[in-house]
Amino acid sequence: MRSKLAPLAALTVAAVGLALAGCSTGGGSGDGADVTTITFGNWRVEDASLWEENVIPAFEKAHPDIKVTYQPTGTDDYNAAIQSQIESGTGPDVMMCRPFDVNRAWIKDGYFDDLSGLDGIDGFTDTALAAWQGDDGDPYCVPIASVLAGFYYNKAIFSELGLKVPTTMAEFTDVLKAIKDDGKYTPLALGSADGWQLSYNVLDSLGPNYWQGEDGRLGLIDGTKKLTDPEFVDAFQAVSDLKSYMPDGFESLTYEDQMQLFTLGKAAIMPDGSWDVTAASATGLDVGIFAPPVQKAGDQRYLQEMPDQGVGLNADSKNKDAAKVFLSWLASSDFQSIYVDKVPGFFSMGSEPVEYTNALAQEFADLKTDALLTPRLQLDRLSAGTPPLDDDTWAVLQTVLNDGVSAEDATTTLQTNLDSWYTPAS
Amino acid sequence: MTAVPLKPRSESRAKPSRVRLQKGEASSAIAVHALLIVFAIVAILPILVVVMNSFKTTMGIFGAPFAVPGADTFNLDGYKNVFTRGNFAANYLNSIIVTVATIVATIVLATAAAWALVEYKVRISPLLTGFFILGIMLPIRLGTVPIIKMMVATHLIDTLLALVLVYTAMQLPLAIALMMTYFRSVPGELKEAARMDGASEFQVLGIALPLVRPGLAAVASITMLPVWNDLWFPLILAPSKANQTVTLGVQQFVGQFQSDYPALLAALTLGALPLIVLFTVFSRQFIQGLSAGYGK
Amino acid sequence: MIRTGTRYRLLALFVLPALLVYVGFSVYPLLSSVALSFFDTADGGSVFTGFGNYVYLFTDPYVSERFWNALRNSVLFFGIHLVVELPIGLLMAALLTSNSIRRSRGVYRTLLFIPATLSVVIVGFLWRLIINPLWGLISFPLLGDPSTALPTISLMSVWQYIGIPMIFLFTALIAIPDDILEASRIDGARAWSTFWQIKFPLILPQFGLISILTYIWTFNGFDIVYALNGSAPGPNYSTDILGTMFYRTFFGSSGQVADTDLGATIASVVFFIILVTTAAYFVVLQRRLKTYEL
Repeated sequence: MRSKLAPLAALTVAAVGLALAGCSTGGGSGDGADVTTITFGNWRVEDASLWEENVIPAFEKAHPDIKVTYQPTGTDDYNAAIQSQIESGTGPDVMMCRPFDVNRAWIKDGYFDDLSGLDGIDGFTDTALAAWQGDDGDPYCVPIASVLAGFYYNKAIFSELGLKVPTTMAEFTDVLKAIKDDGKYTPLALGSADGWQLSYNVLDSLGPNYWQGEDGRLGLIDGTKKLTDPEFVDAFQAVSDLKSYMPDGFESLTYEDQMQLFTLGKAAIMPDGSWDVTAASATGLDVGIFAPPVQKAGDQRYLQEMPDQGVGLNADSKNKDAAKVFLSWLASSDFQSIYVDKVPGFFSMGSEPVEYTNALAQEFADLKTDALLTPRLQLDRLSAGTPPLDDDTWAVLQTVLNDGVSAEDATTTLQTNLDSWYTPAS
Repeated sequence: MTAVPLKPRSESRAKPSRVRLQKGEASSAIAVHALLIVFAIVAILPILVVVMNSFKTTMGIFGAPFAVPGADTFNLDGYKNVFTRGNFAANYLNSIIVTVATIVATIVLATAAAWALVEYKVRISPLLTGFFILGIMLPIRLGTVPIIKMMVATHLIDTLLALVLVYTAMQLPLAIALMMTYFRSVPGELKEAARMDGASEFQVLGIALPLVRPGLAAVASITMLPVWNDLWFPLILAPSKANQTVTLGVQQFVGQFQSDYPALLAALTLGALPLIVLFTVFSRQFIQGLSAGYGK
Repeated sequence: MIRTGTRYRLLALFVLPALLVYVGFSVYPLLSSVALSFFDTADGGSVFTGFGNYVYLFTDPYVSERFWNALRNSVLFFGIHLVVELPIGLLMAALLTSNSIRRSRGVYRTLLFIPATLSVVIVGFLWRLIINPLWGLISFPLLGDPSTALPTISLMSVWQYIGIPMIFLFTALIAIPDDILEASRIDGARAWSTFWQIKFPLILPQFGLISILTYIWTFNGFDIVYALNGSAPGPNYSTDILGTMFYRTFFGSSGQVADTDLGATIASVVFFIILVTTAAYFVVLQRRLKTYEL
């Protein structure tokens, strides 16, 4: 009996299901007559509640006729999702822009409207806009936030072992050595399973002090410098030298693992980006931050400041007027002060000064004083072909740490691969 | 496709010849049990680790990941977070709707097609069969962009129906191939006798259907798993909060609470549980179906 | 016997619904994507290039190296499933059919199948925790060493999916007619030799079928590697399989510009490889297996 009823029951459920699915087709567009709803596509799944509870309500209060839907996709799937949606005409009204090469490709493919003339876009410097300019030099995305990279340290461990915050590479090595000799703590919370963070949080953080920030970066782009030049080889060597201070089995430790290691108080120092200020202090640890050490005392200090998030206007959007109101608001200092306050670890790219209520975020911001700023080495121009220098660096750094490939061989590989497609724009 | 006609016998049929276990059988029974217990432990223990740790504090998880939650490590914050932040009830409902609808659609379409391909042999039958079987090998993800375009054109984008259509298309080839092997083993006399009695072709199919019940169960099981667990098409075809499936909901939650391990493990546990429960509850019927005899 | 004309009409009636859904939502979208592999899309325009993308895939030093690497890894990924998943799945199925455990058969079957119901998000997560060198059971960085990373991931996948060949072969084994088995029991044949001499040859076609399905599934594999190691799976691409290479190329990543034409080319080549191997299998092997037909 039961078996005869089962398919019937299943059919009923299916029929109800299809009916429900049918109903939801019409939903979404039927809000109040004078309220426009725009969607905001982005990859910051982590910040969903911060945006939904703090940032967006502030906008909607000022603009009661516009509602904003926060639509996050995990960063790994973001490009695939946005490209599929835009190509098929279902993209969000406004969306986050990847910096540099990926965005240039998106601009070329006509994903965005040119934002020249948008209210508030003039408030940004050319440097702030550079990551999202088209080949025509026009702005295509409103700069929202930049991120910094540095070294988190556990203050309790430092005072227990009587250590001082290092400012030169020699002092840095001494500190690491002292922690290792003591034996109680892992000196460096760092794993190599995630190639990207070896590149972004270690090489591109320590490196600018070697290749002198923009000098080295722009030198690679215009072809006057090669990765095989001594300043780059030395930077790779500096990463390679960290190996003996990393935890056992670091080869398979992920980015999430190292955060646990640090927040559980088992490791003294962790190289990481400013976006993790909340996570790093979540367990109540007394955490401090120090800048990437310079080679010799008295050297000019360089710091990675990476344009991270811009927001652009979908060229196919049906709600462009409302979307532009939102974008202008994102360009205002009203937004910037709410944002840096509620989403700590991201830094305003506007020209007006803003205050950071989060102590760690302020510490990060203080690192900028007296430092020359430079974005990550690989992302501008050098990742527009195959193999992109970005991905290539991740893989090569893994071979340096895991397989003992020398800094010379590593940089030679990278330069050879880059030469295979890149012609310097002189 | 396959050659051996499946002539299942009833699993539960009592053997007339069954006698008390002899000595040799008793020792072999112990060996069989021992092996199966080892396999079962390997299969289940890792899952229990996740479930167990979801009831612990972060300190408890990483201090001793394989210890049972104790007085100082027990903690329900993970679940609290999931229930306040997550949207699990709606997500479950969406997943169930999509999965059940896909199973039903796949079974209905595949049964009809397989029946006809076996039963009404004409010159193009083998060609059609081959064309369907090709589909088993296709990586459907490659067709993503055209699929979205079609869904947009038909206003099906961001509906559960879009998912059901794509999944049905994805599962049909294997389902047809499987059902064909079952239909091939339906005795010809049975069908001919029905036709002689003047039964319509629908009625003949109706007579054959009970005999392929195991096949229906097999198709249902093989359809259920990839559909329930798929991440890609929910993300692309039905991403809005109202239409999110469990797997997508869990993944988004994981992204949002990357370092909140109790919440993350709680979300993973809640994401896995329904299918495990469903499978456990239905597996008897399910596999009895797979192995049940021809109308016995 | 039904007349030919009627048969055509009946065939159309029964097959058409399935055919429409299948062609509309699977075949057509795939074909129109495959078409991309014959075009070069750059700077907004699209130019027909014939086999240009294919030539590039196989001759460019970097791209071809990545491709051969991914192909080798896919072969290994399949190989491990073939030599671990199928034999153990067969053993499980054989044990389950043993008469001595009749009463608990259902319990075992359910327990052994449960991992197959999990999503890869969970599978990847729980195994990462268990083999984590810091707090897991094994201090060796299995996923960090290029020589063990892919075998480790393959075994996770085997752990998850072993229930499928198990159930598949189990149903085949219990479908063997009683009279054949009764006959052999009277002969006094022992369980071991009964299995290899009588049962296994009878289910060989099913064993062949599940092998070829495993081949197709592993060559289209993607999820487990992506869940664990992302779309540029390290260390240094040692866990990059064809599925992840296709995904990375077709959709790009945070720092890599998407190349849809090349992505479509890779997918087409993979499809071609699977098609040829599968066809060869059916022509050469499955035909021989038919000799055991009852």
